[in-house]
Amino acid sequence: MRAVALLLADSRFPAGGYAHSLGLEQAVAGGLGADGVAPFIAARLRLVATADAALSVAALRAAGDDGALARLDDEHAARCPSPVLRDVARRLGAQLLRSAATAWPDPAIGRYRSVSAATPRPVALGVVGAAAGLDAADLATVALYDDAATVASAALKLLGLDPAQIARWLAQLAPAIEETARGVAADERPLAAQPPPAAAGLELAAARHADRTERLFVS
Amino acid sequence: MRVGIGGPVGSGKSSLIAALCRELAADVRVGVVTNDIYTTEDAQLLRATGVLAPDRIVAVQTGCCPHTAIRDDITINLEAVEELEREQGPLDLVLVESGGDNLTAVFSPALADVQVFVIDVAGGDDIPRKGGPGIARADLLVINKTDLARFVGSDVERMTADASARRGTLPVLALSLTRPPHATAVADWVRAQLREYAGRGRLHSSVGGVEPHPHEHAH
Repeated sequence: MRAVALLLADSRFPAGGYAHSLGLEQAVAGGLGADGVAPFIAARLRLVATADAALSVAALRAAGDDGALARLDDEHAARCPSPVLRDVARRLGAQLLRSAATAWPDPAIGRYRSVSAATPRPVALGVVGAAAGLDAADLATVALYDDAATVASAALKLLGLDPAQIARWLAQLAPAIEETARGVAADERPLAAQPPPAAAGLELAAARHADRTERLFVS
Repeated sequence: MRVGIGGPVGSGKSSLIAALCRELAADVRVGVVTNDIYTTEDAQLLRATGVLAPDRIVAVQTGCCPHTAIRDDITINLEAVEELEREQGPLDLVLVESGGDNLTAVFSPALADVQVFVIDVAGGDDIPRKGGPGIARADLLVINKTDLARFVGSDVERMTADASARRGTLPVLALSLTRPPHATAVADWVRAQLREYAGRGRLHSSVGGVEPHPHEHAH
């Protein structure tokens, strides 16, 4: 794995992910306890993060092609029926592009930033990955790991867990992340032929979470 | 121009912002971004004062990381400020209120052109002596609740002297937001910053250290 991939996966890279629990806060409000965190992360990997990583890899391959990236923006909107989650994706994508535009002075980032109104994070990550010189396997690994680590980090704040225990859950998930990333990178089918995200429960919960006046996380 | 308002929980950041809005809103176009920890209470409190149109005040969540949101990863606040400016603009002044935090929390100069740090006499009159980046380097230090000093055994003059000893030529204002002249002195300071900003097109925050300058002389 290239060092730039580590930089993109590092939570210290300023992209605003720390303000998101990716659905965990609402799940905890609904009764999910410490023993549910690892299954929650694994379920996201299977049902959401894999499809998002496939979108990132498609964007990596489409980088520099305005029309193709616009179609991927539309694909994301079509695959994400929740307006709340579309808005979350737009914000996370915009935040990533903002810092990446300084980190990698590649005109393609500025170009996508100026022409895309939606900037969904999975597409933005692909555009940034191309500018940073990542290959598809590294990009998919970063996408999947970031999803898992974002939830894990939020779990510490929501459930008061042992930080080392959280690290253990991520370590145990690492082989599944690597295998899934290899699969995503090797999949040459057009995006439309690949499975979309399939977590209606998360989409419904996101709307309820956004309506709460007392919450720690944006999502 | 963007002004950061930081300081510990309960020191009077929201009250100061409300008072500044009352002083300035007649002739300065003001917007506010709040970083509440758990609720949108600060934003609601400001909206309830009725000084600003409700749409001029936005709240963002920071996932339990108030200091991160103003210093280490400012993307969420930058997006919020620019969105506010885009939708409500043009604005002359955006006040960014940090979630209440510790004495080490200061704004990145990339987020706040200048910043105010707010402490109060009830937090203990040894706080200025303890120091920290907020006390020592904020462009303006406000010591609030001077009317309570005699009830909590705090010595305002000593606090001001201790703070000034740490701050060199940087200004310190001791005041009570519940007694006339309220925040008039702070509003005057903000107006002076606005004039300088209009004249130079930029400001240099003392948090950013010595301003870059040509080296025709030896240090």
